Amino acid sequence: MVTVDGITKRFRRPRTWRESVRAPFAAPRVTAVDRVSFAVAEGEVFGLLGQNGAGKTTLFKMLTTLLHPDDGTATIAGHDVRDEGAAVRRLVAPVIANERSLYWRLSARENLRLFSSLQGLHGAAARTEEDRVLGVTGLTDSGAKMVRDYSTGMRQRLLIARALLARPRVLLLDEPTRSLDPISARDFRRFLRETIVEAEGCTVLLATHDADEVWDLCDRVGILERGRLLTVEATALLRHRSGGDRHRIWLRPDDVARVASTGLVLQPRGPSIEEGWATFECVIPGGATGAAAALTRIAAADVPVARFERAEPSLADLIERAVAATPQGDRDA
Amino acid sequence: MRSILALLRATWISATSYRIATLLSVVSILASIVPVFFMAKAVEPIARASISLEGSDYFGFVVIGIAASYVLLSATGAIPSALSSNIGSGTFEALMVTRTPLPVVIIGLAAYPVMQSLINAAVVVMGAVVFGVRIDFLMLPAVVVIVLLLIAAHAAIGLIAAALVLVFRTSGPLITAVVAGSNLLGGVFYSTSAIPGWLQSLSVLIPLTYALRATRRLLLADASLADVSGDVAMLALLAVIGLAIGALAFGAAMRHARRAGTLTHL
Repeated sequence: MVTVDGITKRFRRPRTWRESVRAPFAAPRVTAVDRVSFAVAEGEVFGLLGQNGAGKTTLFKMLTTLLHPDDGTATIAGHDVRDEGAAVRRLVAPVIANERSLYWRLSARENLRLFSSLQGLHGAAARTEEDRVLGVTGLTDSGAKMVRDYSTGMRQRLLIARALLARPRVLLLDEPTRSLDPISARDFRRFLRETIVEAEGCTVLLATHDADEVWDLCDRVGILERGRLLTVEATALLRHRSGGDRHRIWLRPDDVARVASTGLVLQPRGPSIEEGWATFECVIPGGATGAAAALTRIAAADVPVARFERAEPSLADLIERAVAATPQGDRDA
Repeated sequence: MRSILALLRATWISATSYRIATLLSVVSILASIVPVFFMAKAVEPIARASISLEGSDYFGFVVIGIAASYVLLSATGAIPSALSSNIGSGTFEALMVTRTPLPVVIIGLAAYPVMQSLINAAVVVMGAVVFGVRIDFLMLPAVVVIVLLLIAAHAAIGLIAAALVLVFRTSGPLITAVVAGSNLLGGVFYSTSAIPGWLQSLSVLIPLTYALRATRRLLLADASLADVSGDVAMLALLAVIGLAIGALAFGAAMRHARRAGTLTHL
């Protein structure tokens, strides 16, 4: 459905007055996206993970025809983003995460009416589609309310409703839960998985720097760093490989020595929420079997354990590992 | 057309939701006529000779000039201003990824300020009628055509200003210069025949010169359509040439913006 092949984007770097005087004709450039290639299958949720400035948004802007790539090609269902912009815009809808891009002094329904008209929908067909997207995003009861009276989470849903109006086959989400509280973010992820992907059948590209979003939603994930795509892996595999051996354990601080005697090397991770318990991290090789064996040894040492779990890798961990796993020559090329 | 109307409707609802501001703007426009009326009556004996081809009522002459300057200001500034504010808010990005072609989006965004200026112009002229100005209402359809040509000629300059916004993030002094120059040379407050010869030669390049002269002659001086056909033809020519240049400049700026990344942020 989405094919990106060696796509590159460079921007002219702003210069100081001094630089302009010293070299008036120089045009220094920064590379925002550097020879990125990947393919996304129909119905897949593909995550792009990376820190701020990694190139996620630039890549999305090229896929939505707002930016032209300098090199390489990208196609949506076979249509080139540079040469067939109109055809691409019929297939792709970005969810622009900027709340200000809504008309705040219009109701949600009036906002949708405007955009349904711009998407070529009119009359009864437009009303039906507006009702559908309001229903899908859970905004039916508040459709008559002005957007300025909406909460941030509701506006986020309205931005998605707006993107869904044209029944896109590919949905691009750029940090969709950035301004949501944790509960709203969790609800949103569920909504995205159950409604947008499973019910609507959309292919989703999700740019994020929130590792939870990747674990909850993505089938595969690509890690971008300074414009380069370091790796593309199945989420389950990435999760296993990058976080599989690290575990967290909640113990009484007095029992650390007895646990150490079982062969586990514990590293303190700060106080636990529950009074009297402390959190430690340790590396236990061997997957679930190894973890079960370690837990059996701890129990045999008569050490009470409040909680034991595999530690999820953080975004920083993932990027560090991906960078470390990429040969130096490939990173600098 | 439906897309333009949808954008016009959305902007209209947004703008008029500030009810007090909307009401006050209409009242202030009406109130602004009063001092113009007394000033015109004082100046009329001196000005009558120079405006004789465009009617004998100096108050009517000035009111039509003021009404045209409202339209000119919005026709010139609407596109760059709408573009700038919509890029700033992120709305332009959302509009750009819809199926509506870009020229239609641009017209739709500029439609409300132009429409508002037309309403303001109509309010001023109707106010002048209340103050006793005699207007030939039968000529209104022809005047509508002239006004549309004036809008087209100045929208062309607006397109060039919008191109500058896309490339340099500002249109600089272009709009101010065009509006001030048009008001100075186009004959808003005086006939172009009253200005020095070398300035008159510049006024032939100003669309407002032809639009005002034709409008005043039709509405105030009992002229026929044939009498103003030369001015209308010249205005149409300037509009066509201007729109061609404006469209080329804007198209080139769009291509630059898609390469440089200035399309979605300022």
